[in-house]
Amino acid sequence: MRWMATNRTAISRRALLAGLGGIAALCAGNFSAFAGGAGLIEENALDYPLFASARREADGSYGIAIIDDAGQELARVALPGRGHGIAVSPDGRRFIAFARRPGTFALLIDPFERTEPQVLTSIEGRHFYGHGCFSPDGRLVYAVENDYDAVRGVLGVYDVSGREVRRIGEIETGGIGPHDVLLAEGGKVLVVANGGIETHPSRPREKLNIDTMQPSVVFLDRESGDVLAKHSLAQDLHQLSLRHMAMDAQGKVWVGGQFEGDKSLTPPLVAHMTRDAGPKLSEIPPTLASGLQSYIGSVVANASGDVIATSAPRGGQVLFWAADTGAFLGADQVVDGCGLAPLDASGFLISDGTGGLRCVEDPQSLPEVLARPPGISWDNHMVAL
Amino acid sequence: MRYLIYAACVCLMAGPAAAQDFSVNIKKSIEGYIRPAADGFARAADDLAPAIDAVCRETTAETKAAFAQHYGDVVTTFAKISFLRYGPLLEDDRLNRLAFMPDPRGIAQRQIRKILADTDSTAIDASTLKDKSVAVQGLTALQLIAFDEDGQVVLGDPGEMRDFICGYTRAIAVNAAQVADEVAAAWDDPDGYSSELLMPGEKNDHVRTSKDAIEVIFNALVTGLIIVKDQDVLPALGKGPESAKAHRVPFSRSGNGLVYLASELKGIEDALRAAEFEPLLSEDFAWIPDSIYFEFANAQTLLADITPPIRQSLQDGGNYDRLKVLTLTINSLRDTMAGELAGALSLSGGFNALDGD
Repeated sequence: MRWMATNRTAISRRALLAGLGGIAALCAGNFSAFAGGAGLIEENALDYPLFASARREADGSYGIAIIDDAGQELARVALPGRGHGIAVSPDGRRFIAFARRPGTFALLIDPFERTEPQVLTSIEGRHFYGHGCFSPDGRLVYAVENDYDAVRGVLGVYDVSGREVRRIGEIETGGIGPHDVLLAEGGKVLVVANGGIETHPSRPREKLNIDTMQPSVVFLDRESGDVLAKHSLAQDLHQLSLRHMAMDAQGKVWVGGQFEGDKSLTPPLVAHMTRDAGPKLSEIPPTLASGLQSYIGSVVANASGDVIATSAPRGGQVLFWAADTGAFLGADQVVDGCGLAPLDASGFLISDGTGGLRCVEDPQSLPEVLARPPGISWDNHMVAL
Repeated sequence: MRYLIYAACVCLMAGPAAAQDFSVNIKKSIEGYIRPAADGFARAADDLAPAIDAVCRETTAETKAAFAQHYGDVVTTFAKISFLRYGPLLEDDRLNRLAFMPDPRGIAQRQIRKILADTDSTAIDASTLKDKSVAVQGLTALQLIAFDEDGQVVLGDPGEMRDFICGYTRAIAVNAAQVADEVAAAWDDPDGYSSELLMPGEKNDHVRTSKDAIEVIFNALVTGLIIVKDQDVLPALGKGPESAKAHRVPFSRSGNGLVYLASELKGIEDALRAAEFEPLLSEDFAWIPDSIYFEFANAQTLLADITPPIRQSLQDGGNYDRLKVLTLTINSLRDTMAGELAGALSLSGGFNALDGD
């Protein structure tokens, strides 16, 4: 069974802080946390800000790494293929890492317990899109999936409360190509960004409906699955695939887009909305817009929820926005930068494809490279645990 | 809905149509640059421990100066390989063991202080030092111990810790020489990592074609440029001349900051030259290499115009601006290499930028 190839390595933060020599031992690959009856990381690591991200390892394989706020690696879990997004349980003790589309695996990882990661496989006729979220009580996981023969997006509903993960149902997302999902309104509502792009695993990563795509952001009743609201952009922006989202302190949903239309155009790429109020577009300063290749990677709010960061990896920029006014606050140049996570009250941790991990305290401060593990490429998304 | 429309910026992506064979470029990179550079670093590193012994045996201005000279040679030759962030430098965590960078939170300083406070005997023997934290066993650690903030050699100075520090610095030098020898030997081994690049597909599932192999080599050069700018220069520049922090330039404590930067850039340039991509470029793209080398020369001129040491001279007339211009020059170099040259050679670059989701 190929999932058995999943390999785990771990070190404790205490060992790390006592001397980064632990890293050398880690690289020797002799750690197997579960074999030793320990968790991936120690319980007291919860006292520190921890982050997780998918990445490509130096040898070309793929995995998930848990790092601390100094950018130092605490633990690593090998993946059978390239990962993408990670959903974190409300208590921060578990997370589920999804395969990059059109992948069919997801790993439920409990880094503090002596349990093996549980491997989920998408059901026949479906693949994962790379993102998901937990229910407020942590018992359920909603995973965006492609019902590709029916050309419809669904949220697979998984019960992760028992010994075995069970798929207990699904909710239609009201669109094609659902990509990101988040909880809103105290957990009563699921917000899904339907990217609008039709794909089929028989033609991996080929886009089949660019001329007719209709992306949307849909607000769903979490219990009933009813569509509460569906927002689209104006028709001249129907080729702006709405993909990644974050929620600010006021409960507004911010979404970043990837434009599939004429490459000579520089459409707006960032919008915010609520269930009742349709999308308001934020204007990217023209001097920046022309270099972004109309592509936003991650959208993340800081811990205070007053600043939204949006990464533009093709333009090598991270753009910051004022959550209350939608105003542009500034940008940092980060080559191949994509992963973003809230750091402390106001700042962000930023990861990039050249291994860099940098912190930025606020949109006005200079980003500081904390670490750059050699040979590593951090993947699109990073989360705070 | 209105939005701004800009004239199309046509990217130069029209490289060779057929699958290109980069075998010659890989061979030339390894034989013409990587192996000689790794050998050069190993030779310089071998001379470090004797220089420390000389200082500790008889501490004079001459022995100190000789040590400082040898340390500078090691830093210079290390700069020539530090951007080869694949294969032998990654195995056994060698790169981090040679130099723990970046370290904005001062992790190394804290750990070294503890070693000194405890007179930790495992730090004075290379065979046990190598199993300690990567932050305390390499050239960056040696610099913190052997030089003061003004760049003076304090190794060998009288004090109750003198012998311990001599032992610790010697252990670092022996350890660094050992790692440097391992790197050189690994590159020289015809069945070692170089064979994964020279015979793609046979030994490494992730390096299946000569294009995969040359991308490993080429993308490391681009990452090297990013490191020089983002990690080595920008933190020193801060937000403006008033808040500049010259001590953030790597190896500036020992007075080797500028030479380290210059050597990194020279190494990247020499590695690019050694690859000899010129014959693969069509006439339309023949201008690219000379444009790149012109910018590398500009970068060297900017650095040469700053009088070392940078910790003392950053605020002197025009030097801050020179480093600022250097960052723009490196930006331009990166853009030309990762954009035009990579495009002309049909090489794939950025991980997220290339194929995000």
